[in-house]
Amino acid sequence: MTDQTDQSRRNFLYVAAGGMGAVAAGAAVVPFLGSMLPAADTLAASKTEYDVATVQAGQLVVIQWQGKPVFVVNRTPEYLAEVDGHDDMLKDPDSKHIEAVSAEWMDTPEKRKYRAIKPEYLIVVASCTHLGCIPLFKPTKGRKDWGDSVPENWPGGWHCPCHGSLYDISARVIKGSPAPDNLHLMPYKYLTDTKVLIG
Amino acid sequence: MMKSKLFGWIDERTGAEAIIKSQLTEYQVPKNLNYMWNFGSLALLVLTLQILTGIFLAMYYKPSAMMTYGSYTVAFDSVERIMRDVNFGWLIRYMHAVGASAFFVVVYMHIGRGLYYGSFKGPRELLWIIGVVILLIMQGAAFFGYLLPWGQMSFWGATVITNLFGAIPVLGDFVSQLLRGGFAVGDPTLNRFFSLHYLFPLLLAAIVGGHIHALHVVHSNNPTGLDVHEGKSTIPFHPYYTVKDAFGVGVFLTIYTYIVFFNPQMNGFFIEVDNYVPANNLQTPPHIAPVWYLTPWYTILRSFESKLLGVLMMGASLAILFVLPFLDRSKVRSARYRPVYRQMVFLFFVTVIVLGYCGHSAPTPTLKLIGQLATTYYFAFFLLLPLVNKFEKTKPLPEEI
Amino acid sequence: MTLKQLWMVATAALVISSPSMALANEGHVALKHADINTSDQEQVRRGLTVFTEVCMGCHSAKYVTYKGLLDYPEIAISREKVDELRGSKPLTSGMITDLSPEDATVSYGKVPPDLSLIVYGRRGGADYVYSVLTGFEHDPAGKIPDGNFNEYFPGNRIAMPDPLSWLDHDASDTADLEKQAQDVATFLAFISDPHQNERRALGFWVVGFLILLTVVLYLLKKEVWKDVKH
Repeated sequence: MTDQTDQSRRNFLYVAAGGMGAVAAGAAVVPFLGSMLPAADTLAASKTEYDVATVQAGQLVVIQWQGKPVFVVNRTPEYLAEVDGHDDMLKDPDSKHIEAVSAEWMDTPEKRKYRAIKPEYLIVVASCTHLGCIPLFKPTKGRKDWGDSVPENWPGGWHCPCHGSLYDISARVIKGSPAPDNLHLMPYKYLTDTKVLIG
Repeated sequence: MMKSKLFGWIDERTGAEAIIKSQLTEYQVPKNLNYMWNFGSLALLVLTLQILTGIFLAMYYKPSAMMTYGSYTVAFDSVERIMRDVNFGWLIRYMHAVGASAFFVVVYMHIGRGLYYGSFKGPRELLWIIGVVILLIMQGAAFFGYLLPWGQMSFWGATVITNLFGAIPVLGDFVSQLLRGGFAVGDPTLNRFFSLHYLFPLLLAAIVGGHIHALHVVHSNNPTGLDVHEGKSTIPFHPYYTVKDAFGVGVFLTIYTYIVFFNPQMNGFFIEVDNYVPANNLQTPPHIAPVWYLTPWYTILRSFESKLLGVLMMGASLAILFVLPFLDRSKVRSARYRPVYRQMVFLFFVTVIVLGYCGHSAPTPTLKLIGQLATTYYFAFFLLLPLVNKFEKTKPLPEEI
Repeated sequence: MTLKQLWMVATAALVISSPSMALANEGHVALKHADINTSDQEQVRRGLTVFTEVCMGCHSAKYVTYKGLLDYPEIAISREKVDELRGSKPLTSGMITDLSPEDATVSYGKVPPDLSLIVYGRRGGADYVYSVLTGFEHDPAGKIPDGNFNEYFPGNRIAMPDPLSWLDHDASDTADLEKQAQDVATFLAFISDPHQNERRALGFWVVGFLILLTVVLYLLKKEVWKDVKH
């Protein structure tokens, strides 16, 4: 009789000790693994402020955000006119394929075609959605400025030199490109008329 | 678990079952071990903790003495980054700093056990010697590690110790420059000390393996010092000592985490106040002292007028540990049954504490004298040992444990 | 208790109490005690104000970023306040004084130390900082005719002139100045170790859990060892 109680007491204690030990070990993993996540100062660098007024009309600048390249383009009325008339050439004209290519402020067809909060300033991640190269800016229509590097019906936009992907002036990917999606958007908002907070 | 198919598959390819049996479930241990025998497993635990926390600290620490704003350096900045910006960095850093001191507390208790119960005597001489090697490597690892935060104490402690080597005749300057990588402690020193600090604990892990292997050949001593015969007075290590060691780990971790979470600096003993001040090679802090666990040897060093003699005696105080098994001639192992040796050993423990206190404090004439007396007894303890058994009347030993 | 156990306990007690014994004979004037609470947001914020309005004239605290002033719950001031404080400096910048090291050396003989770790970096910690700030005296014995006399600074000669107008204070100002000194000591104690409150809170649970686990392990040990005649 004593043996039975002893054994069950023993088992209980083994299980209790083992269970608590496992909890302790699991809890101990948290700070070590956690320390490998981005540190506070790395996260602080996750938001970048930028003054778009520094970008000249028709100019493209590449800035850094979270270590990634970002295009800020000041689109002239001429460039803005280039967004129309070639929807059938595009893989995803309304930016609906994946979450990364649209934003919550894209609530009108206008917004969907200009892909920017303020149409004049397009802000997109400068990473080709194929394998990540930075595409070349070739904003004017046709082959006059770009020669054979672009197709005859070039609407103006970007051409990725690595594997030939093409994007229009709103960074929407053109059919025939190895890239699957439009250039990604990242969260941003205007703090003032010209100051943007990216991230 | 042992009967599962998976275990069988592994056993066929590793011989795991035989190992588990010979090292754990059928490995015989005297049944009368007291809690002083827990410190070996605790030392292994702390070594593991130090390596673990060290690896994660090394993901952010930068060993560069390049100056940054405010007289700080890249290295010091990286430690503060760990304390402030890295998720749980403060916890890992405090664990590592407290762990270093905890390692020495545990190992000193472990050595004390060995001294008192005669665990260094035959057939365990080599086990003891491997242990002394472990102590020396620990001291090296601690010394290299302490430079890394590049605080005032880091810098000046390293300066003093590397200068010590300069006292060695002929080779002294060469050795100092080899250690420092320059004419004074600087960036090259910091970088190589980081490399060595990473290396030494891994060396330790290997040597500890050898230490445990040597132990398993001769088996543990016990509080009576009597040879023990398998079966009658022994029990298997598992489950008895695994469970007792687990309890010991519980007690240790409770104390350790209390310190880590509520007083990690331990009033300047575990993280010295001066080390929160960035290293300044043009200004020595008013009071240089090594971290507490190195203070006894610091006193021995300072007890001698001649710099060379001090260095040699400090070296001798460590070297003499190696020959202890051959100095003590008594046939009786445990101090329990050796009235003279017992008093000597207790006095030795007190002496080491006194040496530590002197090493930590500012050197007044009185303390210097006390330090010299303590140094004398430190050596006397060893040198008298060959004579002790000649006149010591040991108490009658029990029949069995 | 056996004689040996008595020795062990005595040794352990001696060793554990030696840190405080060592502190006791430092040979300095006994410090005043600062009543600080680094989890008191009001006090830490008042300390931040003293720091930015008085101390930052000469001292930096480079490990404290403006973003930290937003993020640390013990401070958590508003974005507007932070923008006011930082001016044109980026949010991720540390709090750096405008006084250049060269100008400082000319005016004071030495560069005012960065205060990010001052509480941990001085014996006496927050008590020391508080005592020094309220320890400026008119030098009755004429010990330091050509400098600033401070009762608590080791050697009494301090390069820093009285920052809180302690020397010219009259009885009615005392309470205010005492408060400022305590508040800035609190702020400095906080920034020396910004995760301290979180650490102690977490520690309560960790140590508590380990005590329970140790009890269970003790019971397990006793239970398993029933098998053994010992």
